[in-house]
Amino acid sequence: MEAASITETASAPPPARKVGDVLNAYALPLLLFGALLAQFIYEPTGTLENVKTGLSNGMVWALIALGYTLVYGIVELINFAHGEVFMIGAFVALSLWQTFGVTESTGLALIVVSIIAFLVASMGASATLNVLIERAAYRPLRNAPKLAPLITAIGMSFILQNVGLLWRPTPDQVPDLIGSHSVYFTIFKVDVLHSDVFAVVVTVPLLIGLLWFVGSTKYGKAMRATAQDPDAARLMGIDVDRTISLTFLLGGLMAGAAGLIYALYNLTVRFNMGFTAGLIAFTAAVMGGIGNLKGAVIGGLIIGVIQAVSDGGNFLGLPLGEAWTPAVVFAILILVMVFRPQGLFGEETREG
Amino acid sequence: MRVRHVAASGCLLAALSFGVAACGSSSKSDSSGGSTGSSADTGSTSLTIYSSLPLQGDSRPQSVSVNNGEELALEKAGGKIGKFTINYKKLDDATAAAGKWDPGATSADARKAAQDKSTIAYLGEFNSGSSAISIPILNEAGILQISPSNTAVGLTRSQGADKGEPDKYYPSGKRTYGRVVPADHIQAAAQVTYQKDNGCTKLYILNDKEVYGKGLADQVVSNAKTQGLTVLGNDGIDPKAANYRALAGTIKSKGADCVFFGGITQNNAVQLWKDLNATLPQAKLFGPDGVAESAFSGKIGSKAEKMTYITNPTLDPKLYPQSGQDFFKEYQAKYGATPEPYAIYGYEAMSIALQAIKDAGDKAGDRQAVIDAFFKIKDRQSVLGTYSIDPNGDTTLSDYGGNRIQGGKLTFDKVIKAKS
Repeated sequence: MEAASITETASAPPPARKVGDVLNAYALPLLLFGALLAQFIYEPTGTLENVKTGLSNGMVWALIALGYTLVYGIVELINFAHGEVFMIGAFVALSLWQTFGVTESTGLALIVVSIIAFLVASMGASATLNVLIERAAYRPLRNAPKLAPLITAIGMSFILQNVGLLWRPTPDQVPDLIGSHSVYFTIFKVDVLHSDVFAVVVTVPLLIGLLWFVGSTKYGKAMRATAQDPDAARLMGIDVDRTISLTFLLGGLMAGAAGLIYALYNLTVRFNMGFTAGLIAFTAAVMGGIGNLKGAVIGGLIIGVIQAVSDGGNFLGLPLGEAWTPAVVFAILILVMVFRPQGLFGEETREG
Repeated sequence: MRVRHVAASGCLLAALSFGVAACGSSSKSDSSGGSTGSSADTGSTSLTIYSSLPLQGDSRPQSVSVNNGEELALEKAGGKIGKFTINYKKLDDATAAAGKWDPGATSADARKAAQDKSTIAYLGEFNSGSSAISIPILNEAGILQISPSNTAVGLTRSQGADKGEPDKYYPSGKRTYGRVVPADHIQAAAQVTYQKDNGCTKLYILNDKEVYGKGLADQVVSNAKTQGLTVLGNDGIDPKAANYRALAGTIKSKGADCVFFGGITQNNAVQLWKDLNATLPQAKLFGPDGVAESAFSGKIGSKAEKMTYITNPTLDPKLYPQSGQDFFKEYQAKYGATPEPYAIYGYEAMSIALQAIKDAGDKAGDRQAVIDAFFKIKDRQSVLGTYSIDPNGDTTLSDYGGNRIQGGKLTFDKVIKAKS
């Protein structure tokens, strides 16, 4: 966990933990897991089905949440425009498919090539956009009061949403290149769909790659150093501005990939999809412990599962359902925050 | 050098943002009339009719088409009634952030019309939930409001409505609002008749939790029960969800053969349709007039459209009187496109407003006289056929059309004579 955290604490030995702390740290995940287990016993197949859907949905939230957590970890800014960067990634991917005329009836080899090529392209587009946003709207405010970049971030979010609105004013169809709803295999009576497999196959290598990059490379080390103390990092010869740009670049790459996965998974894109996705992913990042990469991933997956189980309707006889899902998600978030303000896997941040 | 570079990129960004912002709000107050500020009550000869529709997001194609219909009607009347020149101003009750109608934008529109002394009538809103906000404001100001498309029952009638409806919308105690489209107690009966005609037995109902969607869904529940369908559930959906796979799974496990969604396109109906169709490929999917628009029909895809059935008050052009058939031809000639379903209701909303002004005669500058004239309209021969306005402000028309979707276009199936 240490290596994967962007706000790694100094290497002093951790203080001895009290029993209460340990309980506090593990009680909540155990409670959530226990609730899920109870639901599984109550309604086995439906729950498995929902958990599967939740996990594959959660992959997208995890990728977006990483962008929030990376940026927060290093500059302590909530990049509200991040959801829109994700939306632009999805739009770019769809535009490329439309431009090159790739549809369901195109040959399999071409489809695979187009997915790989446009995954790279949409990741590149989102990353470039995210770096430009940082350069134009956040860097000039680096030393301004904390509220200034926050408002700028909200402003950028609205501007990009308007760009999306001009680009595609109505929801657009994405060609069903992966046979999104076709069954890939069935296990324990649960149909695993192409889209579920696709989300996992694309997301997992990206997550591993990112964790490796931040944890094991020279650049990752520079990022962690900057997160700890930018001034000291600068004294050690780290180019702090470039490191921050790199952080935005990584966040953008993940958001672009999430955009393409979302498009092929849900088959519809719309200009305000980034707003909701951003809110959910931000919640995931906070729930996991903002600044902590693994926390963001696990937070994303947890929220995906909570949403799907709640959407499923009947929770231990409690009539939940679509209408209640946002309330359920945030009720659990509040519960987590009350008992663990730093999030499930969080550590103290610079200000914290 | 570096500094200049930064400044240039900042400028570019600012230009982009302002440009975009300007584009986003260009329709906010789109005036096609002349002077304002002259008083309707002081004998001035210039009157203003406002239109308020959601002009951003998915609603735009339908709303622009309704605006066109209104414009066409005013143009046919020569822009004048007697000595009065009629100005027409288009407002927008949507915001980009919401992607649909917005309560704040709606009340801003209504207040704008209420404060303009030359206002004589207000055509809107498109969405019933939105009208629930603007009716009280315009009611206090004593302005005639006519909606081209509201169908929620509670706006005008107490039967089948929520507690306190419709009186809570009329703080002055007098009625000021009417509509030219048959309300949802009729649509719900037609919808259930259509479902039965297509062999539904076990119905699952979803709604978007708005005044319109929830109200209609509740009406469909009670109609379905009286007409002998099994109702498996009536759930509100989260219109912001990324997808509806888990929900569709639940519906499938309950064994529904038909699903009805009471709601509007803008509340994620396209995504809902795709997930329902993918998970329940055999189930027939029923939608109301809230999804009867190209932003929906053109986007759900060829697989889902084969299973889709839509009720909508707009009928096949051939079933309208000559003037109605002419409307379709004139619209096509002027705007070079087929009108969206509600365009003809936009045309009729403007026409009936003009008739009320005309019927008020010399007192056409008096808002109350125009309201009184509106509620007295009987046996009006219109593009929709002959109808009257009842004391609730509702039309006496009651035909709904059943529609299918072919190649992304809404195609008329049949007239449904509702058994209510």
